[in-house]
Amino acid sequence: MGVGNQDQTAFEFRGDWKAFLPIAASNLLLTFVTLGVYRFWATTRERRYLWSQTRFIDDTLEWTGTGKELFLGFLMAIVALFVPIIGLQFLIQALILQGQTGFAGLLAFSFYFVILFLVGFATFRALRYRLSRTHWHGIRGGSDDPGFRYGVSYIWKTLAGGLALGLLIPWSMTQLWADRWGAMSFGPHRFESAPESGGLMKRYLLLYLVPVAAIILGIGAAVSSGGEPSGLGAMIGLLALAFYVVLPLLALGYYAAYFREVIGTLSLTSIQFQFTARTKQWFMLFLGNAGLFLLALLVALIPISALGLFAGLQDLQPGQDPFAQNPGAVIGMIVALIIPLSLVGPFIRYRNWRFFIRNLEATGEIDLDLLTQSQTKVGSHGEGLFDALDVGAM
Amino acid sequence: MIPAWHYDGQSATRHEVSVVAQEDGLRLDLGDGQTGLAPWADLFWIDKRDGASVFGRRGVNGWRVGIPLPMTDLLARRLPPQSIYGGLVDKFGIWPSVAGFTALSAAVVLILWKAPDLVAPLVPMSWEQKMGDAMIGDLGGRICDGAEGQKALDALVRRIDPEAGHLRVRIVNVDMVNAAALPGGQIVVFRGLLQEAKNPDELAGVLGHEIGHVRNRDVMQAMLRQAGLTLLMGGVGGDVGGALNSAISASYSRAAESRADGYAINLMRAANVSPIPTAQFFDRLAEDERKLGKGAIAMSYMSSHPLSEARRKVFMASARKDAAYAPAVTPQQWRAIVDACANDPDVEEGDLF
Repeated sequence: MGVGNQDQTAFEFRGDWKAFLPIAASNLLLTFVTLGVYRFWATTRERRYLWSQTRFIDDTLEWTGTGKELFLGFLMAIVALFVPIIGLQFLIQALILQGQTGFAGLLAFSFYFVILFLVGFATFRALRYRLSRTHWHGIRGGSDDPGFRYGVSYIWKTLAGGLALGLLIPWSMTQLWADRWGAMSFGPHRFESAPESGGLMKRYLLLYLVPVAAIILGIGAAVSSGGEPSGLGAMIGLLALAFYVVLPLLALGYYAAYFREVIGTLSLTSIQFQFTARTKQWFMLFLGNAGLFLLALLVALIPISALGLFAGLQDLQPGQDPFAQNPGAVIGMIVALIIPLSLVGPFIRYRNWRFFIRNLEATGEIDLDLLTQSQTKVGSHGEGLFDALDVGAM
Repeated sequence: MIPAWHYDGQSATRHEVSVVAQEDGLRLDLGDGQTGLAPWADLFWIDKRDGASVFGRRGVNGWRVGIPLPMTDLLARRLPPQSIYGGLVDKFGIWPSVAGFTALSAAVVLILWKAPDLVAPLVPMSWEQKMGDAMIGDLGGRICDGAEGQKALDALVRRIDPEAGHLRVRIVNVDMVNAAALPGGQIVVFRGLLQEAKNPDELAGVLGHEIGHVRNRDVMQAMLRQAGLTLLMGGVGGDVGGALNSAISASYSRAAESRADGYAINLMRAANVSPIPTAQFFDRLAEDERKLGKGAIAMSYMSSHPLSEARRKVFMASARKDAAYAPAVTPQQWRAIVDACANDPDVEEGDLF
């Protein structure tokens, strides 16, 4: 079966935000009334929807993960992660109290390595989990690699990337991507990944040099003006421009190139993947996501103002406690703020997924008879560690 | 015979099949005379896709059958119903589930709020002592333990509470107007409070209140409550710094606060120390709060011991007109307490965290 051509893109997202809203809203309600416990099932429902609206060639994807396994994974991560960390903290403090500062320092230092390892390990396991729960034509992905090797590789490649003044970061990022995806498979086929960091260096150097240039220019402006307020103003203006406008744009430019490189060099048997998003599209994505936040704030403002008028808070005097007079109205305001803001998260995930699928392309040939079921092991728990370490925040 | 599509979970090939509802399960006609049978109990609903309801089969990974909609009554009756929210919620319906979860959550919150009252007295004193020692150890060199100052402070404590032998009251070199009871009968007074107090009787009232918390075993209760709430918020804290923080900022219940006040008043009455300066001290702190605003008083006495007019009045009213009150300690001892940190040569200064 041919994959992707001029007439038809291999990947298509046909979701509708109006169909997603009831899912997000009922998830929010159930998450509230269960004090947050439902959020694992909420995540599962979100993914089921997003996957089911994603078509690859002739059939949609299917998310087969469950809320229960995510919940179990979370509990396991708490036990496996936080208990030793708390224990270690107590141990370090006890050692300091007994004057064993050298040993305590060594322990604290090794602690940093443990965290690095866990971040790498969790990233690997999350990818493995997601592939093993993604079905297409009844076939799933996965990996037999438990991810320990990747965790070790993550430690030294991250450190090596940072050591050379950060100049090797593009190298470590592409290498780690290749390590991760090279261990994954779909059906009987391994993913093959061979990204190169050379093409990324130009954008990375730009990103790297701008802060340096901005500081030098800023100091130059300040010195040449002889410390006049206008010169200082120019310096602060330049630095602000560099750090809040130019730097994020350059970072976006770098990430756009990074994703085009790593996905563009990813293949599965004879299927070759591409990612088409350029910096401008990434910028529009983030602009839209920021717009969602603003929209939520605007929506929240209406009931809040109404409640404020109703509760007579406009007569509030400085120093007076607004909570003392009208607890009901204040709780109402908090709820009015929380509801729209909590809906922003699901819709950002929706937009991000749509963005990812719309820009994902694949070409080549696929033989359905040879695409047999994956023989990789299926874990009984979700991406607990990944969630607990908040690696997904990226 | 109803036409349907089928993935067998072995390969990605899509099979055109026909399905029939039988008594023992769904029969698939795979063509070429081959058939398969999926027991009803093994089938589960997956989703609606391209005008078909899709079902999976337990125990066979990737096994799928897509049956075009609308389905015949016979099939619809035997096949599992659509799942929307997840097992439990679908079973009871969304609104009964919301009501049930709300009630359950309220019960959990209530238990986490009330359980400390019952559990705290059961915590062995030796554990509490270990916790208190760990917290004091965390303060390290910041304790002003010069001999003179500590002796004078001990004298003040014995004066208001002659049975205070097992209590350990210490001054901490942190510029914070606060005092706190820690687990295991440890009480800390921060340097800022000594500088704010005008005479030993004011300190006596504050210490009497903290001794009240120790005697009533409020500390463990408040800490357990705090831990319960932290757990609820999804945060997991557990280092000593965090525990110390929570002990200081622990909010006791209103009842515990007024019991501790009552305890302090009784101690002061028995010791013949006037409660009026304590009331005046509260007055001054409340005035500061009005001037500085709420933000400025975080982590201070006013934030962990909300000062109400009622509290001040209770102390004020407990003063007897005919009593011949004597100062809690001599002026020399008071100087030694106030200057305890200045006179301790090897004390470290610093913030709490």
